[in-house]
Amino acid sequence: MKSDDSTFVPHQSQLSATLSEVPWWLLVVMLVGLIMVYNITTNEDYSSIFSFLKNGVFITVRVTITAYIFAVIIGLLAGLGRVSKNPIIYNIATLYVQIMRGIPILVTILYVSFVLYPMIIDGVAWVAQSIAVIGLGDSEGFWANITASDINRMMGGAEYSMLYRGIMALALSYGSFSAEIFRAGIESIEKGQMEAARSLGMSYIQAMRYIILPQAIRRVLPPLGNDFIAMLKESSLVSVLGVRDITQLGKLYSARSFLYLETYNQVAFLYLTMTILLSLGVRALENRLKSGQ
Amino acid sequence: MDKKTHDLTRGEKEKIIVIRNLNKYFGELKAVSNVNLEIKRGQVVVIIGPSGSGKSTLLRCINHLEEPTTGDILIDGVKLRHKSKSLNAIRREVGMVFQQFNLFPHLTVLENITIAQKIVRKRSKKDAIEIARQQLERVGIPEKENSYPIQLSGGQQQRVAIARALAMSPKVMLFDEPTSALDPEMINEVLDVMLDLAKEGMTMVVVTHEMGFARNAADRIIFMDYGAIIEDTTPNKLYNNPKHERTKLFLSKILH
Repeated sequence: MKSDDSTFVPHQSQLSATLSEVPWWLLVVMLVGLIMVYNITTNEDYSSIFSFLKNGVFITVRVTITAYIFAVIIGLLAGLGRVSKNPIIYNIATLYVQIMRGIPILVTILYVSFVLYPMIIDGVAWVAQSIAVIGLGDSEGFWANITASDINRMMGGAEYSMLYRGIMALALSYGSFSAEIFRAGIESIEKGQMEAARSLGMSYIQAMRYIILPQAIRRVLPPLGNDFIAMLKESSLVSVLGVRDITQLGKLYSARSFLYLETYNQVAFLYLTMTILLSLGVRALENRLKSGQ
Repeated sequence: MDKKTHDLTRGEKEKIIVIRNLNKYFGELKAVSNVNLEIKRGQVVVIIGPSGSGKSTLLRCINHLEEPTTGDILIDGVKLRHKSKSLNAIRREVGMVFQQFNLFPHLTVLENITIAQKIVRKRSKKDAIEIARQQLERVGIPEKENSYPIQLSGGQQQRVAIARALAMSPKVMLFDEPTSALDPEMINEVLDVMLDLAKEGMTMVVVTHEMGFARNAADRIIFMDYGAIIEDTTPNKLYNNPKHERTKLFLSKILH
């Protein structure tokens, strides 16, 4: 009896352990994906929606990657500002982070696009005029009479202009999130590291550059990766500017064809495919970093 | 506590560290209280005292890892000022070894020892590596140059930390309880390296409870309590004839 129990019980717990290790959620997603691919290849509505939406994938990816690169650069600078002992630098960085975190991203997108961006363009035009007239003594030439709309045209016209505005807004918003990630990463490095570097005669900047940041960046790679995924999803908000990303094209197509279910199924699934692939990548990165150090 | 028990009148050049009227507060807490101290080139000074007596803080003030509240510190005749560019220049002349080793975990042993040589001393990569290898030889672990700190034992890590500080060719070495975080069987390998260094004539200031080291290597021993220097004498005199009650009490607790 006893020996029966002891052989039977582990066997069952092993089976249930194996079953609980199967990533069922991923299988469900893959099944839905297969159905989606099947529909796209066999159903005419689905396939015409897909060929319309796929142009938006490029825009979505472009907005996400460009905005993300700027967000990380802004975030690194603001994060360094947040750990700075210089009160001016600290307060500027903190003000930026608090403002950006306190405003909904959609509002930031509208504000940047229709308030900040026009102001910047006006400013650039004014500076160009001033340089031409005062600096070069030329009040007749092209630069002396340049206007904001000229600059807008040089930047690629209305279509690109909105793309840039969206990218700028997302970069400013996400810059504040990455700033906090960098700050936490830098603060997680033991105090002794900075002390050892300074005691060897390194300046604060050298110690940051060679000792603190290389360690901090390793630690923040997974959260930064998660930010990239969040950015990919949030990039759909630029559709309010008319930027022709996946969401905007979905809106256009469904409004025209009334195929709401079919269109938004595919819109959602396109995002889901990208985010799940990316999150698996982030998880792999996390595991590699864990085993690496 | 301005009493000088040592003859330090052999000329200013001999004094590599001069501390005048040093006070350090942490908020309300007075960690270092009116310390005056002069250390000559080549001297080995051991600082002992109960925990919280300000000995580590005093040591950390010497290279301005702690900013003194009042008072002056001169290294080789140069006054230290906080947040000045010259501070980095002085710090490279003062090597420091920490209780927690503080090796750079993302760098190999060799890189740990070469990085500051390259970016602070501006040595060529080749020279830096050559010096690093000499120092690793000196501390007895030349075979570990490509290891990462995490792959080393505590004693080995501390020896790398000593090599890292020595590679900067410092004029003074500060040791902040260098063996306190080590397993007992690893203490001697670190103390041996320090003893050799003392014999070679390095100026050393060592905060430690290792009385054996103090007896064998120290020219001077300083007993601190409540942030002040209570006694400043030779090891022999301190052991055989402590002047103050507090010193006696402390010694009776640590000498078994």
